[in-house]
Amino acid sequence: MALPPFVLVVLLIVLPAVDATVFSLGRVPINNAAFNTGMHLVRSTGLTLEVYRQLFASRFFRQDLALTLVVTGVSVVLIVILAYVLALYVRFSEGFLPRVLRQLYLVPMFIPVVIASYALTTFYVDHGLLHALFTHLGLHYGSPIYHQNGIVLGQVWQGIPFAVLLLSSGLDGLAQEQIEAARDAGANALTVFRRIVLPLNVVPLLIVGTFTFIGIMGSFTIPYLIGPNAPQMLAVEMQAHFTSYNQPQPAVAMAVVTFLIAAVAGAFYVWGTARSSRRSA
Amino acid sequence: MTSWTWFLRQGPLRRSMGVILVLALGAFMLLPIATMVMWAFADKWHFPGLIPQRFSIRWWKWVFENGNVGRAMVYSFTTAPVVTLLSAVVCVPAAYSFSRMRFPLKRFLFVSLLATNAFPKFGLYISIATLFYRLGLMNTFAGVVLVQLINTLVFMTWIPSAGFDSVGRELEEAARDAGASRWRVFWRVTLPLAMPSIIVAAILAFIAAFDEAQGTLVVGAPKITTMPVLMYTLVANYPEPVSAVFSILLATPSVVLLLIARRYLLAGYLAAGFVR
Repeated sequence: MALPPFVLVVLLIVLPAVDATVFSLGRVPINNAAFNTGMHLVRSTGLTLEVYRQLFASRFFRQDLALTLVVTGVSVVLIVILAYVLALYVRFSEGFLPRVLRQLYLVPMFIPVVIASYALTTFYVDHGLLHALFTHLGLHYGSPIYHQNGIVLGQVWQGIPFAVLLLSSGLDGLAQEQIEAARDAGANALTVFRRIVLPLNVVPLLIVGTFTFIGIMGSFTIPYLIGPNAPQMLAVEMQAHFTSYNQPQPAVAMAVVTFLIAAVAGAFYVWGTARSSRRSA
Repeated sequence: MTSWTWFLRQGPLRRSMGVILVLALGAFMLLPIATMVMWAFADKWHFPGLIPQRFSIRWWKWVFENGNVGRAMVYSFTTAPVVTLLSAVVCVPAAYSFSRMRFPLKRFLFVSLLATNAFPKFGLYISIATLFYRLGLMNTFAGVVLVQLINTLVFMTWIPSAGFDSVGRELEEAARDAGASRWRVFWRVTLPLAMPSIIVAAILAFIAAFDEAQGTLVVGAPKITTMPVLMYTLVANYPEPVSAVFSILLATPSVVLLLIARRYLLAGYLAAGFVR
């Protein structure tokens, strides 16, 4: 009875990922007309890294990869900081303001990503509402839309609810007595934060960081609708190669590159949680 | 309870920080949505007007009469319910077994569902598409249902599993002692008590499927164009108010359903959350 979801995970995730890896290593499936007419096809009887060699030899791919890593990294850092500030504020204050904040940070959860990307564009675009506001105030305005900063903006907007919810659940586990004891012993707020609050939040922070990183790495809609034409994030490039340029093999190889980067992030997460549980043991 | 406020001492600094946070976050979250809503009712909006110069609802009529929109609605409102139902059939029995039975590899099977979040999604969709080409699933209804199913597996298993966990075994044992068969106990006691969690999971699954754009674009387009996928085309090719009107239509089901499920939502989200 427990097996059906697991079988689906194998069929819809593990199998395609393995299949894509094998294809990117030069084994072209013979029973498929679509692939045999694909452009830039590397066909080999053994396994070869030729597809990856060509990929990394391309200046365009290297620029796309760099942009993907920078946008993803910057977005994750901004989301984690912003979400942690919100979570801490809401946890350690009472009254009307934190109640309002609790509603506000959930807003993106209700809005599908396609719509969020479009709404952000209407507000931030050149000659959009923000530009008009700036003009009325006599300020200069440079739009982030169709620029890599726009992608970061979209990712932050979208990533806040998940990050705050998860970090808040970590903070809820804090024992009030522990904090009070430290306060009584004369510790100031900063010391309490560094010595008690932060160490207990290492795992939630790692979870948020890792899953946000992987999520952004694999996002298409925000960069496609808000990002520049070129260079672009790998997801957009994959889609172009797969459908428009008829180059399935390079597209799949790019997918495998994102899998590998995600695997590094995952390994970092496992290492971090293992380390922190050893410390607290 | 005054000790709760130790973090940013009482006083004007803390208050003003709260006000600044609320205003900044409010502007950041809401102004883009407000702009979009104004566009949906704009007839003429030239820079640098802060609101449209002329309002109209003629684009609503245009969107409702457009054939592509109608077709997309049909695809969206057929794929999402099928995905929800299929997901429930696959996952709810698993949720029950995770909650009530012992078997080897239980923990592994439970956590393995997280694989759906461990891969960068778009790379995964491209990989699925190469496989679907060979299986003849590209541009088919079944292919789209399968790709949308992926994002529902985790919470359709985890949330009902937490729901079954919360049903007291004493109740089940009492019913057994009163002479009810196992089957009858399940249908009359366990399932009804776990039903709220199953409904919440189903609502979330429906929304996940309904809003899914990326995988559906890769596997379904150009033939199976659901509403979110049509949005990619509208943004690129139509005047501003068309996309804005369509966005409001597309967001309505998610907003309404999430508001209905809201009371249970966060609890379920965290009960079944990553740190379980």
